[in-house]
Amino acid sequence: MASVGSSRGKAQAPLLSFASVGKRRREGERESTVLEDVSFELRPGSALGIYGQRRSGKSTLLRLAVGLELAQEGSVLFEGRALAGMSSGERARLLRGPIAFLSGDGWLPSPGETVMDHVAMSAGSAGLSLREARRRALAALDRAGVAGVSAEEMTVSLAPDTRARVMLARALVREPLMLAVDEPAPLPALLERERYCALLREVARERSIALLMASEELSALQGIASLASLSAGELCSTQVQGTVVEFPRRRAAAIEAP
Amino acid sequence: MVVAAEGNTGTAKWIRGRSAHLRGALLGLVLERPSHGGELANRMAMRLGETWRVDSNDVYRLLQNLMDEGLVEVREEPRRDKRPGTRIVYHPTEMTSAALTRWIETLLPRETFRLGLHAKLAVAREQDVPGLRSALAQHRRECLELAQMMCPGDGEPGSWGALFMDCTRDGIHQMLQTELDWVNRTLRRIEEYAATAA
Repeated sequence: MASVGSSRGKAQAPLLSFASVGKRRREGERESTVLEDVSFELRPGSALGIYGQRRSGKSTLLRLAVGLELAQEGSVLFEGRALAGMSSGERARLLRGPIAFLSGDGWLPSPGETVMDHVAMSAGSAGLSLREARRRALAALDRAGVAGVSAEEMTVSLAPDTRARVMLARALVREPLMLAVDEPAPLPALLERERYCALLREVARERSIALLMASEELSALQGIASLASLSAGELCSTQVQGTVVEFPRRRAAAIEAP
Repeated sequence: MVVAAEGNTGTAKWIRGRSAHLRGALLGLVLERPSHGGELANRMAMRLGETWRVDSNDVYRLLQNLMDEGLVEVREEPRRDKRPGTRIVYHPTEMTSAALTRWIETLLPRETFRLGLHAKLAVAREQDVPGLRSALAQHRRECLELAQMMCPGDGEPGSWGALFMDCTRDGIHQMLQTELDWVNRTLRRIEEYAATAA
């Protein structure tokens, strides 16, 4: 099993763990395997980057990690609790608190909403006063590198780079324990993209937020201490001992046959 | 890449770089069908493709080397075209098959780009599937490890000082990514083949 995190002192309990996770999806008549026998652990404050091409199962893996979907096989545990055993309400609360999820299609701006509203509303749902929510929102926007001027801008008209940073600010304001990022860099300019990826790594490090990041570009994952590759639903990580990576169990039977 | 030639020749022979891959592929070709040197060179060129620029002098040199190690043996056989005289035909020995298996499953020192794996695939037998999988998986792991070691630069992003390093890192990431994609696809192809063949 891949285990990611610092080995200082006594072993820390994993924040997130996948144990032999499998996920299948119906596509019309056929059922296809999206993830097969995926196991890894993410310790508090550590980082794991997952490289994979399109349709390799990255997004599904992240959606399982944040509790938006449930696995059919194996178990996904967050802070030692099985996500499958929670009610949908409990899982939704996780996503408003200790788990932050950034994905390209997670951007739903409302008409007439300013950047400040967008970020402060996220803090406000945690039961803070409006004033405190605004104060936290400003601090988060500042850390995400969104200049003060843009705080009053309308969310619908933001440039891609600013939008990505506003999404990050919205995630940070809830002080999450884990940040899951599906494709960190859909930004057109190379430099903007690199700066944004560097920001994600720095913020996660300075706040001890565990970072789980998937990308179809290896370079977007640079600087992340531990990398894995996902192909056809099969996860391969540098943490696996030995050189022989076995095919998942069900496929093995076919291979051994002469 | 350096390979210590196996065998009981006493003095260690060192084969470097591309030759080590060609030497391994020769084992596979001789095992498939005993042939004379020219034919082996032709089959090698056909199998590996133009990019390898297989030179028949290299092939003869490597055959001599394999003979010294007892991995191939020569027999004089009459010419097939009924012309007078004989020709030298290279045959496998009882050690050849094991040497091929060993070569296929062994990756010697790290290379970012594993041309040798292409040569291995070119002559692998169905029984070599486990060895191939193991070699491919090891290469995938090494690619991920190399990517992990690539650290973002210290320079101010976007500055002239950082430009060169950024470009170099970009090139290496791109190369590693291509290798990873190729390894993953190759493993899937082998797996799909095995699933349909079973």
